[in-house]
Amino acid sequence: MTPSDIAIARPSRYLSSGPLVWGATMVCTTLLLVLLKQALWLVVPFLLAIIVYYALFPAVRRLTLAGIARETAAALVAGGFLVAGIAAMVPTLPWLAAQAVGGEEAFFRYLAGGRLLIDRSLATLEAQFEFLKQMDFHAEMSRKMSAFGGTYIQEHLADVLLGAAAWLPALLLAPFLAFFFLRDGRRFLKFLGEAVPNAYFERTLYMVDRVDDTARAYFQGLLKLTLIDTVFLALGLAVIGMPGALVLGLMAAVLAWVPFVGSILGCVIVVLVAATDFPESPWVVYAAIGLFLFVRLLDDFVFMPLTVGRSLHMHPLPTVLLIFAGGAVAGIPGLILVLPLAGVVMVVAGTIGGIVNDPRLRARHAFARLLRERRITADLQS
Amino acid sequence: MLGLFQGRKETPRLGTLRQLSLFSTLSRRELRVIDGLLHERRYLKGEIIFDEGEEGQTVNVVIAGRVLICRQGEPVAGRLAQIDAGVVFGELALLENAPRAAQARAEEDCVLASLSRGDFEGLIDTHAVIASKILLQLARQLGRQLRDRSPAVDHRPL
Repeated sequence: MTPSDIAIARPSRYLSSGPLVWGATMVCTTLLLVLLKQALWLVVPFLLAIIVYYALFPAVRRLTLAGIARETAAALVAGGFLVAGIAAMVPTLPWLAAQAVGGEEAFFRYLAGGRLLIDRSLATLEAQFEFLKQMDFHAEMSRKMSAFGGTYIQEHLADVLLGAAAWLPALLLAPFLAFFFLRDGRRFLKFLGEAVPNAYFERTLYMVDRVDDTARAYFQGLLKLTLIDTVFLALGLAVIGMPGALVLGLMAAVLAWVPFVGSILGCVIVVLVAATDFPESPWVVYAAIGLFLFVRLLDDFVFMPLTVGRSLHMHPLPTVLLIFAGGAVAGIPGLILVLPLAGVVMVVAGTIGGIVNDPRLRARHAFARLLRERRITADLQS
Repeated sequence: MLGLFQGRKETPRLGTLRQLSLFSTLSRRELRVIDGLLHERRYLKGEIIFDEGEEGQTVNVVIAGRVLICRQGEPVAGRLAQIDAGVVFGELALLENAPRAAQARAEEDCVLASLSRGDFEGLIDTHAVIASKILLQLARQLGRQLRDRSPAVDHRPL
């Protein structure tokens, strides 16, 4: 076989692409999400562990660069993270305890503040537009909100809080998993390499590198985006005079990890706080909404392309379709997981597609197997 | 599988690695770092290691055995070089990010230590001292090869 024959038979790139690979990526991602939904107790701590892993990985790398063994570096960084976490928790424990005691009361207070804001806004609209007055829009909406607040929320709040508390033990798994990712990640890679036949070895290394690059770029990008969002939201909220601007900014930035829904929920929380704490100053609420819209636009057009957007290289159409599919099959964890999962599946599907479309590679593998079989059976044949 | 969760021991390969020219200038600690990155591969006589024109993702060192570098599919007529134990091959594809310039076959049963492009580039970022020592050894080997293959080049250093 001449080099030109091989050039014709072999695709020029390692990663195959095309409608089949794209279709396989979308189907596999959705199926994986369906499977992951069955093991959410493990998926959520695993996801948090990956985020912690990529957040701490640069520190481990820095220590290894300074000459410390990887195992020791992983233990030092994970231990430092744990100590810092505990140190940060200790001063906030009295506040958290107070919130836990008065949590339900505060929840309904903020809900009442939000309802007051909506009431006032509806009254203003009714005063402006005659047709709304004729429809008795304000009274009708008030009745519906009363029914919703009086029955649905009160019935389900306890269940939601109990459900959230049940997740706590599973979440404690996250730092434990992150430590082992940091310590044994390389050994797992070698272990995987040993299981792959010689013919596919370089492709597998390439795939693992690409998967790691994709996941690292996504999660580190997500963390950078969270930091940027927190700073911008906290500064903006502080300027308009909101109390607890940093906490609210951080909460809204973390909620934005859930595509679409998270940003809206973050905005709603800040609006409820503004409406309750400043009942006589509706401009604070409007300023908060304006700030969220401004930061959202900055995210979409400036920060996201510079951070998370660099990692996936996916067309917006399949991205939006996948987000909807993720939400439909696995709820909020599905919304969070779908994009990084699709990025990883795309690399794996592309690599497998590359191998399937490369007859030379398969022929080399078959030849290597034949050589081994001949060696094993040499004495039997004689 | 269970080996994954066992404590780390000093591998017997460390002494072998110290004998290889590519790693001969590394300290014991640096060798341990490299050992963690290398993948050991075993090839039977006649097995293809890589083809001409293939994208190169690894640089390889022969730990045991012998490797033949030849024109694609011409192991006799197109014989270009013989790589013995201790010598590096496949480094050009990695350094130049170019396709493999020739085919590599196991001329005998051989054991190779492979370092991936990702790890090699990571090494430059994370262990600059180790990377510079390896790159210096690579440059020395390339210089030797250039002098051996080009009669026009004076064998004295320029």
